[in-house]
Amino acid sequence: MAQPADRPFLRLFVTPSVLVAGGFIASLAVILQYSLRAHIPGELEPGGFSLGNFTDMLKPLYARAFVDTVLICAETAFFTLLLAYPLAFALVRAKSPFLKSLLLVTAVTPLFLGEIVRTYSWIIVLGNTGFVNSVLRGLGLIDQPIQMMFTKFGVVVALVHVTLPVMVIMLSAAISHIDRDYEKAAASLGASPVRTFLTVTLPLSLPGIIAGVTTSFAWTFSAFATPQLIGGGQVSTISTLVYQLGFANFNFPFAAALSFAGLVFTIMVIALLRRAARPLEKMGGHA
Amino acid sequence: MNSLADLPRTTDIAGQPNAAKPAVRIDGVSKAFGDVTALHEAWLAVGRGEFLTLLGPSGCGKTTILNLIAGFLEADSGEIFLDGAPITNDPAHKRQIGIVFQNYALFPHMTVEKNVGYGLRMRGVDKTEIARRVGEALELVKLPGYGGRRPRELSGGQQQRIALARALVIRPKVLLLDEPFSALDKNLRSAMQVELKEIQRSLGVSTVFVTHDQSEALSMSDRIAVMSAGRIRQIAAPGEIYRAPADRFVASFVGDTNIFQATRVSPTSVIVGGFLIDVMPGPLEGTIDGQEVELFARPEELSLTSAGAPGTLPAEVVTKVYQGGYSDFYVTTPLAAERVLVRIHGPAALELWPEGAKIGLVLPKTGANAFPPGE
Ligand SMILES: Nc1ncnc2c1ncn2[C@@H]1O[C@H](COP(=O)(O)OP(=O)(O)O)[C@@H](O)[C@H]1O
Ligand SMILES: [Mg+2]
Repeated sequence: MAQPADRPFLRLFVTPSVLVAGGFIASLAVILQYSLRAHIPGELEPGGFSLGNFTDMLKPLYARAFVDTVLICAETAFFTLLLAYPLAFALVRAKSPFLKSLLLVTAVTPLFLGEIVRTYSWIIVLGNTGFVNSVLRGLGLIDQPIQMMFTKFGVVVALVHVTLPVMVIMLSAAISHIDRDYEKAAASLGASPVRTFLTVTLPLSLPGIIAGVTTSFAWTFSAFATPQLIGGGQVSTISTLVYQLGFANFNFPFAAALSFAGLVFTIMVIALLRRAARPLEKMGGHA
Repeated sequence: MNSLADLPRTTDIAGQPNAAKPAVRIDGVSKAFGDVTALHEAWLAVGRGEFLTLLGPSGCGKTTILNLIAGFLEADSGEIFLDGAPITNDPAHKRQIGIVFQNYALFPHMTVEKNVGYGLRMRGVDKTEIARRVGEALELVKLPGYGGRRPRELSGGQQQRIALARALVIRPKVLLLDEPFSALDKNLRSAMQVELKEIQRSLGVSTVFVTHDQSEALSMSDRIAVMSAGRIRQIAAPGEIYRAPADRFVASFVGDTNIFQATRVSPTSVIVGGFLIDVMPGPLEGTIDGQEVELFARPEELSLTSAGAPGTLPAEVVTKVYQGGYSDFYVTTPLAAERVLVRIHGPAALELWPEGAKIGLVLPKTGANAFPPGE
C-alpha cells in the first residue's frame, strides 16, 4: 500500500472526517470530565473531582433502567428480526419486479418519516381511543380499552417500526449473497423446501442477522423520542433518564456519567456480537 | 463389498432385472424462457450405467436439460422418466438424483463429514449407518480422514471429490455433473477426468455429464449428445461422432476439420480437384448430382508429399508447428477457402518441407464427410 504522503488527494478527502471526528472526541472528553465531577444541588456549575456519579449508578433505580433498556433493545431486535426476515426474503426472491418494488417501498418508508411524525402516528394507533382499541371495541371483542400507551409494549412496537427498514436492508443484502446452488444441492439431496431453509438458507444468512441485530440494538439503546413520548415517563430507559436528570433536575454530572456508561455498554455489546459473528462471516456466499 | 456399489441399477424395486428401462428418458421436452427457446423438443435416453455427455457451446441448453432432469425447472411440454417412472411433476427433493455443481456448492457452514452425510440425514438414516457410509464415500474419492475439515480448507480438486462423494452417497438413480472440471487447471483436470471415469465404472452409476470441451467429451463418454441452439444434433458413440458427424455443426464443433470445395457425383461420392472421393452416406440426401457441396476432412486423414506427385492437390506450406509426437502443417490450396491443417505423426516430417515449400496435398480416398454448403 502506498503511503498517504504519496497521494496528496487523500489529505483532501480525509481532512473533513478528521475534523468531524475531532469534534466528536472533544465533546466526548467534555462529557467524560463532567461525569467525573460532583453535582451541587441548585448550581449549574459542577463541583470538584468525584467518582460518586458512577457509584450512584449502582442504585436499584438506575440499575433497573439499564436492565429495562437492555430488555427493550433485545425485544425490539427480536421482533424486528421476526418481521424483517420474511420481508427481506420475499424482497430478494420475488420474481415480479412490481412485487419487489412494492415490498421495498413498504419496508423502507419508515426511514423517510421524521421521528416525531412517526411517534405521533403510533400514539394515534395505540391510544385508549386510538385505532386498535376502536376497532377491537367496534368488533365487540373488548369492553375496556387495552392499555398500550405508556407501556413497554407500546414502546417496543414503535421501536420495531423504527429499526425495521435497516434490518430489512441488511438482511436482504445477506440473503441476496447466498448462492442458489446451495439450495439446489440441498434439494437434490432430499431436503424439502422447509428443511432446505432451516439447514442451509437460514444458517448462511446468519452474518446478516447478526449485523442487523447489532445495528438495531445500538440504535434502540440511544432512541429517545419514542420511549419518551410513547412511554410517557412510565417507561424509563437510559436515554429518558439522561434527559430527565439533565433537563429536569439540572444534574449534568450524573447525566454525563449515565450517557458515558450507556456508550461504553453499547460498544461492549457490539464488540460481543461482532465476536460471535466472526466465524460466521467467512461462511456466506462462495466458499 | 462396497455398499455404494449396490446402486439400483440392475434390478428394480421388485427385484426384477430392468436393464431394458433407461435410467433417464426425455420425451419431446421443450423449455422456453420468455422469447428464448432454451430447448426445442429434446428426445434422449440414458442407459443403465451409461456415461452420456451433453456437448455444445455455451448457451446451447445443456444446463437447462440438467435442471429439467433434476427438477429445478418445469418442462413446458414433454415428459421425463426416471427408471421408467414419470417424474415430470415430482419436486426436486423427491427425485433421488445426485448433482455435482460447477462451483461444487459444498455447504460452507458444515464440515466435510456433515456435507457428505447431508443426504442421508435428510432421509432419516440412523447415525451409525451414516458414519459408515460417509466413511466409505470418502474412501471412494480417496480423501479418508478429511471428514473434520471445512470446505474452505480444501483445494479445488479436493472440494470436487467431496462434492462427488456427497452426490454418490445417496445412491442416486442418475448422477448429473455440470461442467465439473472447468474451474480446475489442466493437469488436475486430466487427473480428475480419469478418476471420475474409474469411479463411474466401478459403481456403474448412470451419468449425464455436461461440458463444452469436445476433447473431454470424446475421452470420457460412452455416448455424446451434441447440442447447438437448443437442439440435440446427434447422439452417438464418440468414434461415430468423430468419423460420421450428422451435420456441418457437429463436424466442425467436434475435433479439427478442413473444408474443401467439392462437387457431388453420387449420394456417397464427390469430386475434389478432379479426384473421386467416397464419403459417408447420409448428409448428402437432399442434394442432387452435380451440385456444389463441401468435403470435410480431418487433419490426420490428410498427408503431404512432393509437389506434382500424381493424385495430389497443389499446395504451399505456410507454417509448421512441432507438437512433440506429431507436427501440424498449415498449408494453402486453391480448393480450400481457409488454411488447411495437416497432422503428420513422427518426427521426420518436420525436416522435409520448409515454410514456403511447394508440396502435394493428398486427400483421403474414403472415410471423409461431405455436407451441403452452409453459411
Ligand atoms: N433462468 C433463465 N432465464 C432466462 N433465460 C435463461 C435462463 N436459463 C437459461 N436461459 C437461456 O437459455 C439458453 C440455454 O441456457 P443454458 O441451458 O444455461 O446453456 P448452457 O448450459 O448450454 O450454457 C441460453 O440462451 C440462456 O440465456
Ligand atoms: Mg451451463
